[in-house]
Amino acid sequence: MRRILTVIILVLIIGLPHMSSFAAVGCTLNDPDRDVKRLFPESTGYRTVFITIKEKGGEALRNEIENQLGDTLEPIYESIDVPYSFYTVLKGKEIIGYMHGVNQKGRYGGMQLILATELKGGIKAFYYQKMSSPEAGKFMDKEFTDKFTGLSLQDFLTGNLNIADPSINSSQDFAATLRGLKKNLILFNKLLPEKAQ
Amino acid sequence: MKALSVAYKNLKRKKIRTVLTIVGVGVAVAVLVSLFGFDAGYQRSLNNDIDKLGYHILVTAKGCPYEAATLMLKGGGGLRYMEDDVYKRILNDSRIDKIAPQLVASVYNQEGQGGRGAFALYMGIEKTYLYLKPWSEFKSGGWFSGPDSDEAIMGYEAAEVEQRLVGDQIFVPGINKVLTVKGIFQRTGTQDDGIIFIPLSTAQNIFELPGKLTGIGIKLKNIQDMAQFEEDLYNVPGIQVISLAQVRGTILNLVGSARAMANSIALIAIFIAIISVTNTILMSVFERTREIGVMKALGASAADIFKIIWMETILICIFGGIFGVAVAMFGSSAVEYIIRQTLPYAPTGKLVLIKPALLALSFLATVVMGLIAGTYPALRASLMKPVEAIRSGE
Repeated sequence: MRRILTVIILVLIIGLPHMSSFAAVGCTLNDPDRDVKRLFPESTGYRTVFITIKEKGGEALRNEIENQLGDTLEPIYESIDVPYSFYTVLKGKEIIGYMHGVNQKGRYGGMQLILATELKGGIKAFYYQKMSSPEAGKFMDKEFTDKFTGLSLQDFLTGNLNIADPSINSSQDFAATLRGLKKNLILFNKLLPEKAQ
Repeated sequence: MKALSVAYKNLKRKKIRTVLTIVGVGVAVAVLVSLFGFDAGYQRSLNNDIDKLGYHILVTAKGCPYEAATLMLKGGGGLRYMEDDVYKRILNDSRIDKIAPQLVASVYNQEGQGGRGAFALYMGIEKTYLYLKPWSEFKSGGWFSGPDSDEAIMGYEAAEVEQRLVGDQIFVPGINKVLTVKGIFQRTGTQDDGIIFIPLSTAQNIFELPGKLTGIGIKLKNIQDMAQFEEDLYNVPGIQVISLAQVRGTILNLVGSARAMANSIALIAIFIAIISVTNTILMSVFERTREIGVMKALGASAADIFKIIWMETILICIFGGIFGVAVAMFGSSAVEYIIRQTLPYAPTGKLVLIKPALLALSFLATVVMGLIAGTYPALRASLMKPVEAIRSGE
């Protein structure tokens, strides 16, 4: 019994901190099987690829992305060798959509913004996989996230959004959300080679 | 040289049988190398993990392991805490080199994991924590500005995931507290990389645990004092004392049982490989009885025949050894993955450590195995009488 207790303590000391909700830097789905099925109930499978800006075009591509984004990519956490994950959703052999996520710096912590997109690039669904904010609940509310359904990269580029900040004191997080979603759609457009047009 | 050439040609005559035997030997060698590699790697990783904790003794509240197990298994809160009187009581013990009180607190984040909820962990520390871990260096920023400041120091990975820089804010869910990032540690390769540290007093205040601690890490001036020091602490009510040397020994003992079983399996695999090689060569000898008789009739000595047959066995074992060593080297990642999935506790770092010396030793052992396995068939072939051999082979 004493042996078991000491082992438990060691596991506690060494292993417990890993229980925190930290995830990998390249924003992957927490549970791809469940998440894909939830947003694409008719799906029968999915393919996953991890792509970096470095391998798809390097500095030149980063400049293109920054131009479209209208902002510079943060050198430490948005460097060109960060791997971005793309899930191509399948029904049999047919591609029926995509899921892709990005990390975005929020006011109080990193956000993980996940998009499900249709073949033509329109947003089918959006949700926060992770968010830290006193007003996180307002942002994660379906009523807010559903407002992005049907939008496309073009809407973000032209600023034709017409979506109000759901928070009272977290306008930085609202701005970060819009930036993160725009970045997500730009990366989807620039990095995924097999994307159906 | 001629014997080697003849032996090689003989093996080529029965390609499938030769290849299968080589694969059998190779698998046995690969198992052997992987097991010894695991033995070395596991011990080194475990020692490394424990050494990087920085202390010899950990004092915790009694009952803590049960609560910890609950926390780990069910994801619930409720760690047991002890009064910091214990810390004050032992602080000035002359045998102590360094001592660091800690308070671990978990808070439930309703919005964690995409709204499914998750626990986040925070550790309250004093500067003495750094004395126990002299290898901890700041990547940016520095220590808290005061013992009660609303500040945080983030481990490397924690900062990476939260995308925090010095001066940014972090939000502690559940208690609605905002802290400012004062420093970010360099990567250490330990659990500290994923932790958010806050001043001990701040932790006691914001988590409403005044005067409480979850643990006290102690490093002694002289390791020889450990037994007596532990003995003295047993008299303090409400706490339990864990020596990390004892924990290390306990884990190695537990893993040792599994290791003993695995080693037995490896020995059986080697035994089977020897039998298999002996059987293959013996079959080959029986099939070539007439041929051996003719060779002897034409003037080949018993020593010549012995050399040829022995050489065949050794060649099989050499090729098997090369194949096994290659499989072990390139398959070590897969073995490590399987071990990590199987073991209840696997330390960080490389679990299967394959050094060149181990590879060389295993290869040498395979050649020796070939020498042993080939002795009987070679002896049997060399002692054949030419006339009887030619007659019985007809």
